[in-house]
Order: sequence, then C-alpha cells, then structure tokens
Amino acid sequence: MKPMMRFTRSGAQAADGLPMRRRAFLADLGMGFTGLALGAMLQRDAQAALASAWTPPDGRPHFAPKAKSVIWLFMNGGVSHMESFDPKPMLTKYAGKTIAETPFASVQDPKKLAIERLVVPDANGNQRNTLYPLQVGFRKHGQSGIEVSDWFPHIARNVDRLAVVRSLWTTDSNHGAQTQFHSGRHQNDGDFPNLGAWVHYGLGTLNENLPQFISMGTREYWNKRDGHYLGPAHDAVPLRIDPARPLDFGKPERPFSVESQAVGMGLLRELNALRGVEYPDDAGMAARVASYELAFRMQRSVPDVVDFSKETDETKRLYGLEVPACREFGMQLLAARRFVERGVRFIQVQHGGGGAGAWDAHSGLKANHAGLALAVDQPVAGLLEDLDRRGLLDETLVIFATEFGRTPGSQGSDGRDHHIFGFSVWMAGGGLKRGVVHGATDEIGFHAAENRHYVTDIHATILQQLGLDSRRLEIPGRKRLEIDHGKPIAEIVA
Amino acid sequence: MVPSRNPHRKSGGVRRVVPFYRSGSAWAPSWWVRIVLMTTLTAGAAVDYVAEIKPVLRERCYACHGALKQKAKLRLDTVAGMRTGGDSGPAIRAGDAGSSRLVQRVETGDATDRMPPEHEGEVLSADQIARLRAWIDAGAEGPADEVPESDPKNHWAFRSPVRPSVPQVARPEWVRNPIDAFVARAHDQHGLTPRREASRRLLVRRVYVDLIGITPTPEELAAQDRDAGPGWYERLVARLLDDPRHGERWARHWMDIWRYSDWWGLGDQLRNSQRHIWRWRDWMVESLNADTPYDEMVRLMLAADEVHPNDPEKLRATGYLARNYFLFNRNQWMDEVVEHVGKGFLGLTLNCSKCHDHKYDPVPQVDYYRMRAFFEPYHVRLDMVPGESDLNRDGMPCAFDGQTNTPTYRFVRGLETQPDKSAVIAPGIPNILAFQEPAIQPVSLPVEAWQPERRPWVFEAYRASARARVESVEKAATEARAKRAETLGRRGESAAMAEAEAALAVAEQDLAWARAESTSLEHRMAATRVSWRVTDCAGASPEIRADAIDRERNLARQATRAEQEAAVARARHGLAAAQWRWLKAADDKKSAVRAEVDKARETLDKAVAVASAALPLDGMKSASLTGAAWTPTRFFDSTKDDPRVEFAPTSTGRRKALAAWITDARHPLTARVGVNHLWNRHMGMPLVATVFDFGRKGAAPTNPELLDWLACEWVESGWSMKHLHRLIVTSATYRMDSGVEEGDANLAKDPDNRYLWRRQPLRLEAQVVRDAILAQAGELDPTRGGPSVPLSEQAESKRRSLYFVHSNNERNLFLTTFDDATVKECYRREQSIVPQQALALSNSRLVHDAAGRIVTRLERSLSEKTAGTSVEDASFVRQAFRVLLGFEPGAGEMAASLRALAAWRSLPKRPDDATAGVEGEPRAGLVWALLNHNDFVTLR
Repeated sequence: MKPMMRFTRSGAQAADGLPMRRRAFLADLGMGFTGLALGAMLQRDAQAALASAWTPPDGRPHFAPKAKSVIWLFMNGGVSHMESFDPKPMLTKYAGKTIAETPFASVQDPKKLAIERLVVPDANGNQRNTLYPLQVGFRKHGQSGIEVSDWFPHIARNVDRLAVVRSLWTTDSNHGAQTQFHSGRHQNDGDFPNLGAWVHYGLGTLNENLPQFISMGTREYWNKRDGHYLGPAHDAVPLRIDPARPLDFGKPERPFSVESQAVGMGLLRELNALRGVEYPDDAGMAARVASYELAFRMQRSVPDVVDFSKETDETKRLYGLEVPACREFGMQLLAARRFVERGVRFIQVQHGGGGAGAWDAHSGLKANHAGLALAVDQPVAGLLEDLDRRGLLDETLVIFATEFGRTPGSQGSDGRDHHIFGFSVWMAGGGLKRGVVHGATDEIGFHAAENRHYVTDIHATILQQLGLDSRRLEIPGRKRLEIDHGKPIAEIVA
Repeated sequence: MVPSRNPHRKSGGVRRVVPFYRSGSAWAPSWWVRIVLMTTLTAGAAVDYVAEIKPVLRERCYACHGALKQKAKLRLDTVAGMRTGGDSGPAIRAGDAGSSRLVQRVETGDATDRMPPEHEGEVLSADQIARLRAWIDAGAEGPADEVPESDPKNHWAFRSPVRPSVPQVARPEWVRNPIDAFVARAHDQHGLTPRREASRRLLVRRVYVDLIGITPTPEELAAQDRDAGPGWYERLVARLLDDPRHGERWARHWMDIWRYSDWWGLGDQLRNSQRHIWRWRDWMVESLNADTPYDEMVRLMLAADEVHPNDPEKLRATGYLARNYFLFNRNQWMDEVVEHVGKGFLGLTLNCSKCHDHKYDPVPQVDYYRMRAFFEPYHVRLDMVPGESDLNRDGMPCAFDGQTNTPTYRFVRGLETQPDKSAVIAPGIPNILAFQEPAIQPVSLPVEAWQPERRPWVFEAYRASARARVESVEKAATEARAKRAETLGRRGESAAMAEAEAALAVAEQDLAWARAESTSLEHRMAATRVSWRVTDCAGASPEIRADAIDRERNLARQATRAEQEAAVARARHGLAAAQWRWLKAADDKKSAVRAEVDKARETLDKAVAVASAALPLDGMKSASLTGAAWTPTRFFDSTKDDPRVEFAPTSTGRRKALAAWITDARHPLTARVGVNHLWNRHMGMPLVATVFDFGRKGAAPTNPELLDWLACEWVESGWSMKHLHRLIVTSATYRMDSGVEEGDANLAKDPDNRYLWRRQPLRLEAQVVRDAILAQAGELDPTRGGPSVPLSEQAESKRRSLYFVHSNNERNLFLTTFDDATVKECYRREQSIVPQQALALSNSRLVHDAAGRIVTRLERSLSEKTAGTSVEDASFVRQAFRVLLGFEPGAGEMAASLRALAAWRSLPKRPDDATAGVEGEPRAGLVWALLNHNDFVTLR
C-alpha cells in the first residue's frame, strides 16, 4: 500500500497524520514513523500531546487482519429464524397451544421481555401467543450436520463453510431494527454511522479506481445514509447492475465523445495545475484534482465490473442468472465477487423491497419465505462456492443477516410477527471457523438462550477480522458506549 | 496549544482514498500522533500522572468528584484533593495502592460498591487500574503547581459578555473597523502578518456569493466595472444587502440551523414535519430581507401563537415547532425540540442530560425535563389561508397549546418506560443561567385564535370553493344540454337519445346538488355567526341574550334543514348516476348495476323522509365550519388517530416566557451563539469551533474579545443581522486574499489559520453551485416563495435550490452530492471533495445544457462592447475566466485554452454530433472546463 494522502484545510497530510512539511523534515532526519520516535517527540510537550492524543485513522489496520473485504447481505423485513437456520420442531409439536399451555411458559416472563423498546404501539411487533407450526421441513447437512430448512437447499450444501450464530437479539420491535442492525443504535437514539461507514473510515483503499464502500439493492425503508457523523464521504456509493448506467452521473448525460472529453480533461488538468502554482498550499485544490482523476477512472472501471460478458456460462449458472427468480440478486452477488476481486472493502447488498422489507411475513409466511428463499438461495450459495474456488473466501467475510427474527406464535392465521428476542445470522470466510454453530435459542426459538449476542457483536467480529479496533476509531466528542462497540465472538474465529 | 477538540460533530479529516477535505479539519491539530498505549505495563516503568492517570480520572470521575459536583465531599481533580480525600478519608495512600480507597473502589467486583457506579460510566480497564496502582505505589507524585478545575459558574460562556474596549494595535492603518482591531491584536500576539487585500474581481465574486448566493453575471460585472470610484465596495455591499435575493441566500443558512424540512412519511402518510411548511421558509426569507431583529425571530419561532396570536404573517414562524411533529412518538418529538433549542439557540448540549446529569456542564438531569415542560403542551395544527378551504391543498402549519394539563415526568435513566411519577416537573431553566427566572403568565387568546373559523377569509374560502363547484358543474350541465339537443335532431338514434337524456339527468342533478350545498353552506354560516354572538354577548342584558339565543335556535334549525335538503340533492344525483351506469352497462352486468340503482333509490327515499319530517324546536346543531385542523397524532395506536386535541381560549404562556429568557439581552449564550453562526458563514470558520456546544466540553473561542464585542454590538444594534453582515464584510479581515506565498512565515506559526491572517477558501454550498450555474446560463427563475418544488419536477425546474422539496426521504441528487444539509441536524455544512462531485459536474445535463447558453451570454456581453463584430477567441477566453472564475487568465491559461479550442475544432465532425452544447461548440467545451475548474466551486 503506498502512502496515502488526506487533505485538510491547512495542508496536505500523509497518511500518518503529519503535515507534509513536517513529514519531509522527519524524513530528512532519517526518522521513521515508529511509535518510539513519535513518543520521544511527544515527551517534550506531554500536556499538549495529552490534549490531542487523537488523530484520524491512517488507513492501515490496527493489527494483522484476517480479512480484506466484507460482503454484507441483508434481508429486509425479518427472516424467520425457525424456518431458516434455527429449526424448532417443538413449534410443530405444540402447534395451536398457547405458550402458557406449554412447558415453555416462562419465556414470557415480563422481566425477560423488558429489553424491547417500543417506538410506537402498533398492530405489529406484539406478543403472539399461539404457537405456529414450522412451515417447512429441515434436515442435517454436510459433515457438520448443521440443520437448515428445506427452503435453502443450495446454502445447505455449503453449510460446512458457515459459522451460524443462533443467538442474536436486538431491541427495536419495529423495522427501525434495520438501522439498528447496521449502526447498533435504536431508532430513538438518533442517527449513528453504519458498520460499512466505520470500515470505510478506518481502512485505506486497495484499488484507487473504485469506490471502497458500495451499496446495491433496495433500501427504501431504512436510513439511506451511512456516514452520519463521520460525514457523507463515508456513505456507500449506490450502484446499479447496469453497465450502461451503474453510477449516478456515471457518464455524460449529453453527447460528449471520448475525444472531446479527452481534450476537456486535458485542459482542466492544465488549468488546475496552473492555478495550483498560484495557491501552492491549497489542499482543497489538490484534493479536487485527485477527485477528478478518480472519477475519471471510476467512470471506466465501474461499468467494467458490472459487465459480465467475460464471465463463463458456468459461473453465471452458479449464481442462478438463468433462473428468473434469482437473476437480480444473482447479478448483484456476481458483481460483489468482481468488486472483491478488485479490492473493494465493503459491499452491502440489500434484498427485498416493498413496504418495510419483502421478508416481513405478517401473513402468508409460507408462500412469502418460499418465494424469497428461492430468489436468494442459489445466488448466495454460488457466491460462497465461487469465492472459495478462487481462493477469495479466506480473505472475504460474507454475512447473511436480517433485522430480527419472527415470532414462534402465529399472527393472524398464517403469519409471524417481528421478534427481537432471538434470531439467527450466519457468516462465512474471512478467517472464521467453518461448519460451526454458535449460541442457541430456547426450544421454541423465543429467547437467545446460550451465548447471547447483541447485534454489535457481529460488528466487533467483522472489525476484528479486518484488523480494526473500533475504540481506536472513536472520534472526540462522539463518545461511544460499550454496547456500541460490542464484543467479537471469539468462539467462531478460526 | 489548544486541545484537539471536536469542532462540530465530525472532527478530523479523513484520509486518502477518496481525497477528502472538510470544514472540521481546520481545528484538528493534525500533527499530534496517537499515543499508542502499551497493552501490558512493564514492571518498574514510571507512570506519568499527567499523561496517563489524570485523563482517565477526568473522563470517569470528575463529573461527580470535581468542580461540577463533590459527592462524598471528595475531589479527584488534584493529587492534593485525593490525598485529603472526602467523607471516607483519603482516597489514596502514597506508596500503598492496596490500601488506597480509590483503587479499592474502582477494582471491586461488587457492582453496588464499584466506581464509577452502574449507569454512570464504564468501569476502568485492567490496564488503567494497573497504571493507577503503579503510580500510587511509586509515591503518587503530581505536578507541584496543579490547579483544581475551575468553578463551572466561571466558565466563560456562562457569564454575560461585557463589551471589550477596542485595542490599539501595531498596524492601525490595516484596521477598517473594530473587528480588525481584535484580529490585528491576535496577529501582533502571534507574530502574524495579514495577507494583502484580494483582487477586486475576487472580492466582487466573494461578496455576491456570500450575500446573495449566486455569482455575478456579465451584466452585473459590467455595471460593477462602471463604479470604480472610492467607496465602490461599500456601495456594492449596501446594494446586495438590499437585494431581495439576500433573504433567499441567508434563509438557507438558517434553514440548516433551524432544521427546515418538508414533510415526509411512508407513502402518502405524513409522519414528520408538516404540509405547507414552506410558509415558514418564506417567513425566513421575508424577515431577513426586512432585517427583522434576531431576537424577534427567535421569539416568533418559539411563541408567535402566544405573542401575536392573531397575526398570520407572524404565526408562520412557528413552523420551527411544527417541523418537529412526529406522528408516532411524543417523546422522540419532545427530545428533538429540547435538543435543538439547546444546541441551536443556546449552544448547550441539553440532550446530554436526558439520561443522567450532564457530565461536563452544570445541568442536572431534571433540567432536561424542566426544559421539556415548556413545550409539553404544544401541538400542531393547520390554519386555513385565504382562498383555499381544503387544508390538503394549502394551509398554514402552526403551533398551539393544546393539552395544557399533560404532566412532564423525569424518565429514570432516560427510559420512557420508566417515568418517575412521584413528581410533576414544572418548566424551568438551568440554575447556572437563571439571571432571571422566566415568569410564566397564561395568555388569553383572542377568539379568532381558538375559533379560527371567525377569521374573515375562512367563510370567504368556503364560499369561493362552493361557488367554484357550482360554476364547474354548470358548465358540465350546459354541455350535456347541448349534447342532448344535438342528438334530438337526428333520426333513429333512440339508444343515443336515451344515453344523452340520462347523462343530462346526471349533470342536472349534480348542479342541483352543488346549489343545494351552496345554500346549505350559507345557512350554516349564518347559524355559526349567530352562535358567536351568543358567546360574545355573554355579559349583555338578559333581553339581548335571549334574543340571540332565540335566533341561534332558529338559524340552527334552518341550517339543519338545508343540510338535509343537500343530502336529498346528493341522493338524487347518486340515483341518476346509477341509472346512467345501468344504461351503459353490458347486458350481462345489468343485473348487478340494477342492485346499485335500487340501493341509490333507497338512499334517496331515506333522505327525503328525513328532510320532510318535522324538526324539533330545540337542540339542533348543524355541522360546524372549521378554520383550522389539529394535525392528528397516533401516539397510542399506530392504526388510528388519537383523541382530538381541542383549541383552548388560553395558552399556558410557557413558551413566551422561555422565549423572553432566551432573547434577554443579559443571556450569556444567545447572542454569542448567534454571532458565531453568522461569523462562520461569512468566514468559513467559526470563532467557537463547537458551534452547538459552548459548554465546558466545547472549544474555547479563538478570539474571545472579538466574539464578545460582536455579541454586544449585535444586541446594542437591536439584534440587526444586516448591521453585522455589513460590519463583517467591510472589515479588512474579510477582504484579505486567501492565497499563501511559498515559505510564508505565517504558515509555520499558524498553519490552521486560527488567528485569521488570511482568508479561508471555501467550497460553495450545494445550493450555490446549482444556482450559480443556472444564473450564468441566464435561466435562473427569479420567482420567490411558494410551495416547494417536488422531487419529480426538480430536474426541469429552474427555481433557486432553496425552494426544492428537501426532507429526510426526498433529496435532490445533485445537491446531495455537494453535501446538502441533513435535515436532522446541520449546524455546519460539510465541505467534502469526493469523486461523485466530479461526476456530477462533468456529466450532468445541468452543466452540459448550461455550457452552451453561457457561451451565448458571454459572446453577447462582448459583442455589445465590440459593436456586434464577432468575438475573438482570446477575448472570449478572458471574459469566460472573469465571469466564471473571478480572475484574469494568465499567459499559460490563455495558451492552454486556445490550444484546447483548436484541438476541439480539429476533431472530425460526426453526423450525430449536436450543433450546440459541449460536443458541437468548442467554446461550450471551454465553459464546461471552467465550470469543472476548482475555482468555480471554490470561493477564494
């Protein structure tokens, strides 16, 4: 990684936070940037150093990373954990009974329910008392023998690649939990940076031709911004799988031939350079010139990444591109792999638009989940297999997540409500164990019972694999709480 | 060295990847490097109290054992204080960590005994405890001259500003007004030399953008060139301050700070802010143009409904409160009000004391709820405006005190599920700022405020819409009659004839219905008027009262009958329409439609029965006419509206009292915070970097005397914003050039320009970028005010950007790319530089379409001078640089531009090339390049 520049109003700075003049001075003295040398400098003015012991991140990991990139798959609306990765036969056994009538009545102890924070009393997000039977079969798969529902046969085939966490919990019983899953904060607490934004803030680029944080798919319901107090520069760049128009303003909206553009860009470069002579210390100018160069490169490199003409038919089939139901998500995941290959750090793919998210099966859960699982199952499996055979899975963390689970009890005649007390996500690759289950819910899938994890434990695990310490990314004046940082799930790390 | 503080919410720059640059970075003393804490403490390593112990204690302990509070009479802010200890004896025993109470309390596993207590702060890490132990074991040495934290009462921002005398300085000739004297003193103190004055062209561009938000056109520049005499700059400033575009420019600044947002929700359901909130925006524009004093603006926004309850123009200001409306959750709504009244007007982070006592400022938790209690009664309604009776189409959102008896409770640890109902919290202000307790007096409202139907335009609006309806159906009836007459003349068309007859019947019945509604409306209005008389003559003689009551009874009966007759007319229309549908229905559908006809006939029969029955003499009440509607909330059930909040004849007077306290000239914060906002927007950097936090955790002012002088000057000028604008922009400080010489000595002394030895170059705000492009193309639509331009029309719209719909959900893509304000909080704009901006400027239709038009305008401005002869490339280039960038091209720039023009001309023409625009017109290519030039989006 070559030294990277950042720009402040007062001057260009090298990635280590020293202004260029000072950096040059240090270089002349033959001093490196070891903690020792800096420590010696700081000793001279301990008081001042103390007051400003903070600098922005330098783009390098804090410790040796296990993973370089993240593919973050998010199912909008809330996937039923019992009918995906945490099957609960007791639901079928006691179907039609109220929870109070079963041996599991204690799950509704008000003390255990107190973690819920209500935004609005609603028809949804309520206790559902009558147990609803499993709507799909399940079986054990792979050498690990992890149980997966029959709606996900392709992912099941990959189960020995997964680390399934069955003991997540959150607190927002409405779909604000989507934001909560990304930022760690309940909707009523305000807006906070999303995980992808922290990664973008903390890590430098691996490819100077591409944006480092990309968002694909639908994100209508939850907050469209990511950076929040880190700034809009840390928002994801929204992208469409359309080589003709992958980026907003990605190509001229009026005729502008390549030749004409070349003359224009050449002139622009020259004029800015001439002006730069007049304002030698203007970091903004330098930053703008660099931003044009990157934009110019992105304009060419991004359409290239979403152009699949060079992919083999076998690969396309792997992602299910020939299956109409899978096509859209499959293309996004194929693009995700292509971005990972090119070093993009964080690729966020949201699945399921409409309402508060397509997976939000308050009624007709069986048809809803069967259809949506069909749309994601093969593409996700294809992604895992494709990454693995290319040797990319070891350095890429794939996560399959959703904002909360669904109630063990039925809503109406054939749906399940929002459920915050226990749900599942899985992760794969990026230095995690393969073919493991961690944590468990109780016998009816109500509470995360063993090894409980708040959503930020997922963030902490991912950051740890990327070599980042979230505490060292903290910004003065923006105190983060313990729960914002979360704890890495050590048991699933290889 | 001033500590690295968070300038506003986002401190610090971001590195490299996306080269990036932003306002916040100016304050981050970038050259300090993180101290990398060793994870293990090697035995015998000396622990430095100041560097390693004190910061931990400050962070975790001082809030309760420092200047703010002295729980158990213990202070930990000096080593001496620790040795002395508190109620339980010394906190530390030098040389013996094990027996030191401080160590015992921070490391105990017993949560009830441990410090910091549960919910009050994180426990110390093992490493921190190890260091603390090592330091105590080594003798607990501290600096000899250690001073305890100063009393929060003495914090600079909590003491009223006193106007400092204007200093004498070393270079008096540089000083144009007192601002410069304070700045020059800082120069003297730090050995800085101010930059020379900027060129005339740059100054003109700067002051245009700053005061009216667009760059000068060729015509405006030509006019400016004609006024070269002494005082030209002051004359220009005066003209721009009088320009109505000034209000548009500065309203956008205040819209950021005051959190303007058009309504948003889910689909059509309004969840946040209000419909027609643009009236508040228009009020800002007009008030700024009229130089309405700042204190008056604040007063009106917080309490116009109590101060001027009968003045619709002023009531618009309460859009400030209406904007916080949130359909589902009152606590979230109230939290936003308290947080942003605190941050926006007072520079106080009151929100920090929602869950616990403030950790840095003397604001106990209860003060948060005392502040909330000022707002607890207020709700939001839409008032009818002249000419429109449908509130969905138009109306005026404003605040009113509705539920005056709702108690405010403190929430234990801020949890809304745990209100402490043992005490109702009364409105109140933090003690530290209680130079005067707000005197809360209930306000009796004029009757029009709580019976808005009495406003004269309300009945007019109803009548106008009834009339409009009659006119429109009259037209339809005339057409139907003509159709029938036409059909009548033809032979053998019995089916067509029957259809025309039926259609006419529908139209005639529609007309009858509209007329009956109109009549009913007149009766209801008459009845309503008399009902007011009954209320109004409550104190009159019994005869007068009896007469009024009698008339009310009669008119109510008449109105009721008229309503019943309108219902009959409506049913007749329903029947005619059903019959018409039956006639038109296909044969297999006729029986289904037959049922509709029968049902319509049944409805008519019932209506006729009601209308012909005798009316009782008493107790009749016709449907009331409203002049305003409460905006329903759904706090209790998201699927249905909460019980209606009625308009009351008395307002609590709480907000009026709060506004009086905030705008009191003695308030130590209000003027300083406001002046800091103004300064920041003129100069690109505030005097207090933490613009919304003037508390003890906030940044110290870089030039405290200047801040206080400005605050006092402002208040004494009657809070005139234009007075301050004029002072600031005519100062020598403002007029400096932004450049730096190679090896400039100032750079070494003050690289961040904290002491203003030069002008700070600024990235134009999103709105200015777009508006300036359109203005240069001669396309900017000068229409002022009115409903916001919806997202779907923005691509075609040429209105100024401040008129675009702007909400949490709906944002203009081009503006967003340039760091448009986030509606939830925007006390300072970001100034990022990201590649998406480059894409937007180099590829958008906006820029490409403008480029061709700008060529025409530039050529015209030149050919006027050259008496119509064609314009040479060189003069075109020169003019383009002047107008678009504000400077004369140098020889290199001229040569490069001419070369590029030649290169474009030599490209082979292709048949599909447009003849105008960037592709077909080389000069448009040049303009494209200049619009993409760094100095187009930069204010030097």
